[in-house]
Amino acid sequence: MPHAPEKRSNAPIFWLLFGAGGTLSALFGVGLILVTGFLAPQGIGIGPDALSYENALAFTQNWLGKAAIWAVISLFFWHAAERLYLTLKDMHVFSDLGRRLLTYGVAAVVTVATAGLLLAIGF
Amino acid sequence: MSERRPYVRPMPRDWWARWPFRHYTVRELSGVTIAIYAAVLLSGLVALLQGPAAWDAWRGWLASPASLVLHGALLIAMLWHVRTWFQILPKTMPKLILGGTPVPQRTITLIGTSVAVICSSALVAFVLWRPF
Amino acid sequence: MTERADKTIELRVLRYNPVTDEKPHHQSFTVPYTSDMSVLQGLQWIKDTIDGSLTYRWSCRMAICGSCGMMINAEPKLACHTLLRDLAPGPVTVEPLNHFPIERDLVVTVDDFVKKIESVTPWLIPKHPKPVSEGPYNQTPAQMAAYENFSACINCMLCYAACPQYGENPKFIGPAAMAILQRYDGDSRDGGSALRIDAVHGEDGVWGCTAVGACSDVCPKAVDPMHAVNQNKMNTALDYFLRFLKKRDTK
Repeated sequence: MPHAPEKRSNAPIFWLLFGAGGTLSALFGVGLILVTGFLAPQGIGIGPDALSYENALAFTQNWLGKAAIWAVISLFFWHAAERLYLTLKDMHVFSDLGRRLLTYGVAAVVTVATAGLLLAIGF
Repeated sequence: MSERRPYVRPMPRDWWARWPFRHYTVRELSGVTIAIYAAVLLSGLVALLQGPAAWDAWRGWLASPASLVLHGALLIAMLWHVRTWFQILPKTMPKLILGGTPVPQRTITLIGTSVAVICSSALVAFVLWRPF
Repeated sequence: MTERADKTIELRVLRYNPVTDEKPHHQSFTVPYTSDMSVLQGLQWIKDTIDGSLTYRWSCRMAICGSCGMMINAEPKLACHTLLRDLAPGPVTVEPLNHFPIERDLVVTVDDFVKKIESVTPWLIPKHPKPVSEGPYNQTPAQMAAYENFSACINCMLCYAACPQYGENPKFIGPAAMAILQRYDGDSRDGGSALRIDAVHGEDGVWGCTAVGACSDVCPKAVDPMHAVNQNKMNTALDYFLRFLKKRDTK
């Protein structure tokens, strides 16, 4: 064959996380921002107790709640990481290692930290 | 008689800020704001772990005008993300053939955007009608 | 035929003579035109009446040979497919295709592009080879629809001139080569997918694409190379994770 075999890229890992975060945010992002940014804190259509400490704790201690919070926070970060990594590359900002640490590195730390927080909050 | 001396033009370093690529750069940066929203949620999680006092302080900030402005900006960016995400969807998914002809890309964009409207509306409806 | 060329338009053409010029420079020509004249015909008028040394590629004059791609007002266009009347009152800037080295005037070096097309195994590798006596390889209209638009590529290189990632990294496989790859990969008679995936699974393969989309916007044949590249991101990603399950020779 005329082509030289090219070294396989690890991009698929980051690209699939980017795609998962992009899809999740495209489907539910607007609804989430409406709920947590406007309706709940302003008490619009929802009782003032909705965001009480007890309610928030109960939601976060539920294993389904935990899964949803972990997926949203970590995948949203992975989505932004891929986009920021490529945009910084377009802009010639930082070295490649610097860009990776700032984007994928932060997303990885956030993923682990969120899991840690959710475990610390308990069941 | 003739001599080859191919001339290589330099690539402008700021092409991403110029027409017609500005639209692409704005699209990418609208995706980056999604992490800012996730960071807001993450800070709430930290406050929750710290206890009722920290949580109430976080709630207080969430109701502040500064938070409203931030979430307004995040909402606009998120709407742009939704729009552009489904504009690109027909280019990232496998080609869809129905009844021997490719499904038009506009149709795929329309279906995707409609599903997003349904999902986000369902989320809001669920929260509004759920007895707390 | 009866229309008189009483209108004129200014063409600012990028000139470069490798023997005498240190670097390219613009030269303006005032070209008389009729409403049916293309930019290519404007260039031909210059060559015939003002400067016979003006160098550019052309052949069919009907948007099918893919020879006369150039930057017209900073957009990659086929010169034969762009009418001067649509660009009035001008001036019109005419430059060689972006991102390619300039050989002379509007002629660019195509060697790299040709090598890229060769690298994607651009021919059918029958899934089940059979002798001619057993008849043709049949295909349904739906199976043909899966790749038909990708087979419309005329190798005009407009998509490479539109792609900033190719401009940044000349090693990037680029849009048209991926469209041609998908033309064969998407063919129900073909069994060469594994071979082709291996040619494009690197950083300079599909992963050099950031989904700018300019390639598909400028394509004169609606080939949609952006779709071909991004479809193969998914194929490459699946191959990345499933390769351990597949029994394949790894050299």
